[in-house]
Amino acid sequence: MAFLRLGPRRLRAGELRLRAGEVLVAAAALVWLAASQFQLAAHWAGIALLDHFGHGQATLPVAPGEPTLAYIGPGAGIALIGSFLTIFIALLSAFAALLVWPLRLIWRLIRGRHAYKYAQVPRVVILGLDGLDPELAEKFMDEGLLPNLQRLRDEGSFRRLGSTWPPLSPVAWSSFSTGANPGKHNVFDFLTRNPSDYRPTISSVRLREPRRKFKLGRYIIPLSKPEITLTRKSKPWWKVLSDAGIFSAVLRVPVTFPPDKFHGVQLSAMCVPDLRGSQGIFTHYVETGQEGATMDGDVGGDRIRVTRNGRAVESYLRGPVNTLRVDRPEMRLPFRVVSDGNGAAKMRLDGQEIHLPLNKYSEWVRFAFHPAPGIKVHGICQFLLKSFEPPFDLYCTPLHIDPHKPVMPISHPASYATYLAAKHGTFATLGLAEDTWSLSEKVLTEDEFLEQTYEIHAEREAMFFDTLRCVRQGAIACVFDTSDRVQHMFFRFFDEKHPALQPQERASHAPAFREMYKVMDDLVGRTLEAIGDETALLVMSDHGFKPFRRGVDLNAWLVANGYMVLKDGAKTASHPYLVDVDWSKTRAYAIGLAGIYINKKGREGQGIVAPGQEARDLLRELSRKLTGLRDDQTGEVAIHEAVLSADVYRGPYIDQGPDLLIGYNVGYRVSWDAAVGKAGTAVFEDNRKAWSGDNCVHPALVPGVLFSNMKLREEPVNIIDIAPTVLELFGLEKPAYMDGKSLLPAETE
Amino acid sequence: MPKIKIEQATYDRLAELSGKAGYSSVDEFVTHIIERELEKFQDASDDQQIEERLRGLGYIE
Repeated sequence: MAFLRLGPRRLRAGELRLRAGEVLVAAAALVWLAASQFQLAAHWAGIALLDHFGHGQATLPVAPGEPTLAYIGPGAGIALIGSFLTIFIALLSAFAALLVWPLRLIWRLIRGRHAYKYAQVPRVVILGLDGLDPELAEKFMDEGLLPNLQRLRDEGSFRRLGSTWPPLSPVAWSSFSTGANPGKHNVFDFLTRNPSDYRPTISSVRLREPRRKFKLGRYIIPLSKPEITLTRKSKPWWKVLSDAGIFSAVLRVPVTFPPDKFHGVQLSAMCVPDLRGSQGIFTHYVETGQEGATMDGDVGGDRIRVTRNGRAVESYLRGPVNTLRVDRPEMRLPFRVVSDGNGAAKMRLDGQEIHLPLNKYSEWVRFAFHPAPGIKVHGICQFLLKSFEPPFDLYCTPLHIDPHKPVMPISHPASYATYLAAKHGTFATLGLAEDTWSLSEKVLTEDEFLEQTYEIHAEREAMFFDTLRCVRQGAIACVFDTSDRVQHMFFRFFDEKHPALQPQERASHAPAFREMYKVMDDLVGRTLEAIGDETALLVMSDHGFKPFRRGVDLNAWLVANGYMVLKDGAKTASHPYLVDVDWSKTRAYAIGLAGIYINKKGREGQGIVAPGQEARDLLRELSRKLTGLRDDQTGEVAIHEAVLSADVYRGPYIDQGPDLLIGYNVGYRVSWDAAVGKAGTAVFEDNRKAWSGDNCVHPALVPGVLFSNMKLREEPVNIIDIAPTVLELFGLEKPAYMDGKSLLPAETE
Repeated sequence: MPKIKIEQATYDRLAELSGKAGYSSVDEFVTHIIERELEKFQDASDDQQIEERLRGLGYIE
């Protein structure tokens, strides 16, 4: 591999200028834009819009199409479209699309010629390996386990890539996308809270039921669409490229649900819900024991007791609440399982017969719930039959949105997910697709979890390499989650001091950790082969990893120190989501993973701390007391640094995030209780869960990796620098809102 | 997507300040101002199943 040689460094300011002779073509393009509105419908009519998406310019429709159905899980609604009208419009629009196709082609050729005029390279590929740790990568490189990353290090560049405050995936990937700090993109944590009532929600997406609806008998008919809004603000680099006519393929980059609309294609990732609207609820079918959630407090998966009728076992898929019915019943799909006599079984579900091999995952199974006549909610799942003989034992993955017929917007254009499914087969669509909870709950074994994780990895590889083959010009970004999930769940086997380590299991599971790094290295090697000599490659992660041995219960500390008061003078809060808090006497509270909020007047519903000097004084006091907080049991400093968000963020959304950011030391993280707004009896507790590695520590302790086939400037480099780098590679100036700076060395270097 | 008409002078001022405030565009600036005002009229979390939406997130239990 030779270093990539970059072209001339000329930057273009502003938008593309049209020459006089191109004005007519521009007018024709407007016609095309109008027609493109109908392309999704054309797809449903069976018109072949899913052809290759091209050499040089995309030929896949970049239609800002809405999904035909918009189901948003619990407490949501379904937009109805009459099937006859749909077919009629589809045929009409398909005809219109065919008519304007030659004009579109001409427009693309002209625009494309100018779009790449100042580009230093024809193509930029960003391979995201979520959570890949630079210390571990270096260790394994030195052991000779990672020859491809080693080549990049030796012949190109290897840097520790600074992460965000806090170094959490949704926050860091949002900074990757926008080139801006969280104060400008508004994603501060996995969770945020509604300040008016302190209730938590996912930080990057807002889901609301249709506002207008009417009752018709036992049905509720929505008259408006449900609201599905990406709450990540600012502007991602692919939209800046799009403005300049440059194509991007953005696959599974976190915090892209619902997808952006731009010149390119996108498949949504982290925070895409399952059919029930959750982040992924698995089901464990059993023959004995209590039904309900697999953990106290209605968390984890669902446990459903099956019925055995002679040779058959009967149960049901638990679907979403039917929001089209007045009584909002839970939708269910019955199934029946019969043994084939050899340990395996056959399942009858939704009119299909499904083969269930013993101790092996089934293929993806497609099915549909029927909330009302003529309406279907399509989903997919996989089964793992662990025993048909008593006691029956069957695992079912969370019910993913069916990519063949997505009921929510999971791709741009809307037909892109369908295209991928048609070309590569059914694939996992859930944001956090690898089912970590089922391993934590011991419903899946370590090996079964790994099998699932690597199957999902293989699906994504197929999409990624196909995109590398098809998109010869423009930007490609694809994020793989395997590295993150395996480290979360297997760190205990790699850390001798971990409370969750079962020494007898260490020998059998510890190799999985190194093996994962080797798999990632192999992926990098095949990527290098596929891209050739003219593509700029960035291999990066959003953060590194550390063991999570002990949890810090911030709320217990706040209660013990008088900053939080619980109702009725209680000393512990056993209910989640801060419901036990007496807000009239509470000055600070913790929820989520990032830090502490002040109960601020004018912002919080029952705020008591005046904004301005009083709030600042309180934050300084908390920062002083928490920085250096020591764990008496271990003698270690648990909190490396507690910083005021106002001191590290800049931008218009600062007030939406935590006011005090907690930078934990290695081995520590916010406790499980405090993360959901409970307060336990002790400030420190052992973490004995399979979820044993984490990245919720001080960002200086968990930088990510950055490898490249280019020579990059020296450290310090940060994840916010990636976006300006991509822009410079395509000859575009960095927009003013971006905080990062290009990683390309100055020309004099 | 609906559009709103505003005075040119107001727009010019927004354009001047949006960059300084850290917004990526005037549209984002205006949307933020409007959303902030709308929050004052927002009922408490109108979905009784918020907790259900958080289920399955590995980072919390």
